[in-house]
Amino acid sequence: MNFDDTPEEAAYREQVRTYIADHRDQLISVGDGARREGDLTRARESQRVMYEGGYVGITWPKDVGGQGGSPMQQAIVDQELGKAGVPGHVGLIGIGMCGPTVISHGSDDQKQRYLKRLLSCEDIWCQLFSEPASGSDLAALRTRAVREGDSWRINGQKVWTTLAQYADYGILLTRTDPTLAKHKGLTMFVVDMKAPGVTVRPLRQMSGSAEFNEVFFDDVIVHDSERLGEVNDGWRVGLTTLMSERLTLGGGGGEMGISGGTAASFIASQIGSLSEDRQALVRQDFGRVWTQLLATRYTGYRLLSAISKGAMPGPEASAGKLAGTKAGRQLADLAVRVSGDGGVWFEGPWQASQAGLPGLAIAGGTDEVLRNVIGERVLGLPPEPRADKGLSFEESVKL
Amino acid sequence: MNFDLSDEQRALASAARDFFSKAASPADSRAALEDGSPLAPGLKAVADTGFHAILQEGGTVLDLSVVATEAGRVLSAPSIAGFGRVSVLDPTADLTAGVSVVDAGPALDAATATVFYALRDGQLVRGAGTVTSGPPLDPTRGLADVTLTEVTPIDGADRWEHALRVGQVLLAAEDLGTAERAVEIGVQYAKDRKAFGRAIGSYQAVKHSLVNAFVGVEQLRSLAWWAAWAADENPAELPLAAAAVKGLAATVLEQATETLIQVHGGIGFTWEHDAHLYWRRAKVDRFLLGDDVEAYDTVARLSLV
Ligand SMILES: Cc1cc2nc3c(=O)[nH]c(=O)nc-3n(C[C@H](O)[C@H](O)[C@H](O)COP(=O)(O)OP(=O)(O)OC[C@H]3O[C@@H](n4cnc5c(N)ncnc54)[C@H](O)[C@@H]3O)c2cc1C
Repeated sequence: MNFDDTPEEAAYREQVRTYIADHRDQLISVGDGARREGDLTRARESQRVMYEGGYVGITWPKDVGGQGGSPMQQAIVDQELGKAGVPGHVGLIGIGMCGPTVISHGSDDQKQRYLKRLLSCEDIWCQLFSEPASGSDLAALRTRAVREGDSWRINGQKVWTTLAQYADYGILLTRTDPTLAKHKGLTMFVVDMKAPGVTVRPLRQMSGSAEFNEVFFDDVIVHDSERLGEVNDGWRVGLTTLMSERLTLGGGGGEMGISGGTAASFIASQIGSLSEDRQALVRQDFGRVWTQLLATRYTGYRLLSAISKGAMPGPEASAGKLAGTKAGRQLADLAVRVSGDGGVWFEGPWQASQAGLPGLAIAGGTDEVLRNVIGERVLGLPPEPRADKGLSFEESVKL
Repeated sequence: MNFDLSDEQRALASAARDFFSKAASPADSRAALEDGSPLAPGLKAVADTGFHAILQEGGTVLDLSVVATEAGRVLSAPSIAGFGRVSVLDPTADLTAGVSVVDAGPALDAATATVFYALRDGQLVRGAGTVTSGPPLDPTRGLADVTLTEVTPIDGADRWEHALRVGQVLLAAEDLGTAERAVEIGVQYAKDRKAFGRAIGSYQAVKHSLVNAFVGVEQLRSLAWWAAWAADENPAELPLAAAAVKGLAATVLEQATETLIQVHGGIGFTWEHDAHLYWRRAKVDRFLLGDDVEAYDTVARLSLV
């Protein structure tokens, strides 16, 4: 066991650090609003600069524009960006979820056309899975794709689609055969978000900002060459996406939606103005939350070490997400609490965190769904009986 | 970075599991509770394995902590934490004599100890003492109030803090094993027991409480390894790591053992069932070597700067 870089890792870290320092003025900063600006020019530029240095798509194969590097190198880049106060790339959903799906299931032509532009942020991608009637129960989705010669005609609606308002492409999960069991009749496509018939409507979140959207498909025509994987094999293709998502959201010892160090400094700066009794209470709360955040970080390191030795991120990776999300929310809440009378105004970064973090317990699998997955796949507990078992999709929607 | 046990440490853990799973069980804890039967495996049996002297023989705190986790699974006595703490305080101590370190309040492993250590006016002392015990909540911890009789000053006061932290790290490693075992037993029962025509583990209320306990165990494992590593390799991180793991061990073990009782329903509340023996550990260990409230306060004091 050791937490030191190997000589190769240390050399790589030095190289990354130098690159970031040399290009710092072209990179965006946490809290500078660049990820919400009109056309995202600065956020895209920031990712492009890192791509040109060879620091985006690090674990991707070289022939699609990646670096053929290791998960550890990816973690080093993430850590150094974090230390420099650079937030996650605006193309994270493409890099972490859509891209790996195209790599695993796309044609050579798709890989050549899409992947380099995705990494350099010439194109932004989104993930079009959830629908009004199918979130946790993803396989119940209704958006229809019907074959017409060498194309498909698509009708339906997606919702909660992060960054769809800026996206150039999306990976779209559709139903192609409603007579089969619900997860058997699905097919995945790459869709051009600027195609005729695609309408994107931003949805305002509880924090007030609009990062996710509803997306309507009205007779959108997608060529068969944009299919990912076989017809009616979309569930398996989607599992690649969800597994990559697990790695992007659960692993590596990164922080869960809040900069813990910044929150701790803020609480430290406020605590002196409280009464002694209150100080003791705040320390007790903070100590418990901070301990959980430390444990989440080291659980992430365990996962990263396992992945470095070739293990796939299993469902146990979700344990870190469950614990980290909860602790992150408690930390933001504590930061608001020590703000004094100002705690009632919606201003400052901790109010924004407090109103943004509930989404983390829903996105990427709700806490409840993750507990089902861990309970059934890690602990081996029996699943709940399902009312739709053995039914075709058509039959199941009548339940 | 490589945050994992080595092959040697895994082999050590497996040897320790072989030994402890045969040499002690909750039945011994029950017998001690009922009629004061001797603790298991007991000093002599543990000393025969050499596990007690891992630190004295040049092993690491991490090595000893993987043994501690296996000991925790079967509620083994005497504590591995005690051996570790004394090894740091007094590197040439005769651990087979029965050793105990006396802080304020009842001392761990004191009931059967013959050699006691304490800090008196900034001086480390060693010697004899007399012991008195109350009715035990968890008999396996050998707790007793100690009155020191004849003591002599020895070197090592400068090692006091470090030894205490090593003890906290090892106690937490024992608690990790106890919590891990409690979750295993609960999961097994949830697979076997049926209600309303299905296994109770298929009900989410049951499943999710077991998962919450499991997540706690995995979080604790991460801190237990890190803290043991810090004790060996990075003393600057040890004060934070020891406090964090001490606090989390109390929280996680309490959650795991209360879940164990709840998942079992009525049978879990009986004297005959083992659940309360694990629960007794939780309710006692949280107070040993400084309590969880103090540990979390320390985490905050060290981190809010
Ligand atoms: C910030 C944010 C960003 C998102 N971005 C995207 C995106 O980019 N692309 C995309 O496709 N989707 C996205 N989503 C959608 C997300 O994946 C879904 O919201 C999520 O899967 C839950 O689905 P739902 O909203 O339909 O809730 P439901 O599935 O209706 O769940 C409602 C409640 O019921 C509980 N529940 C449901 N089923 C079970 C069960 N079997 N056992 C126990 N409890 C259950 C849930 O836990 C929840 O508490 C995003 C969501 C959020 C909040």
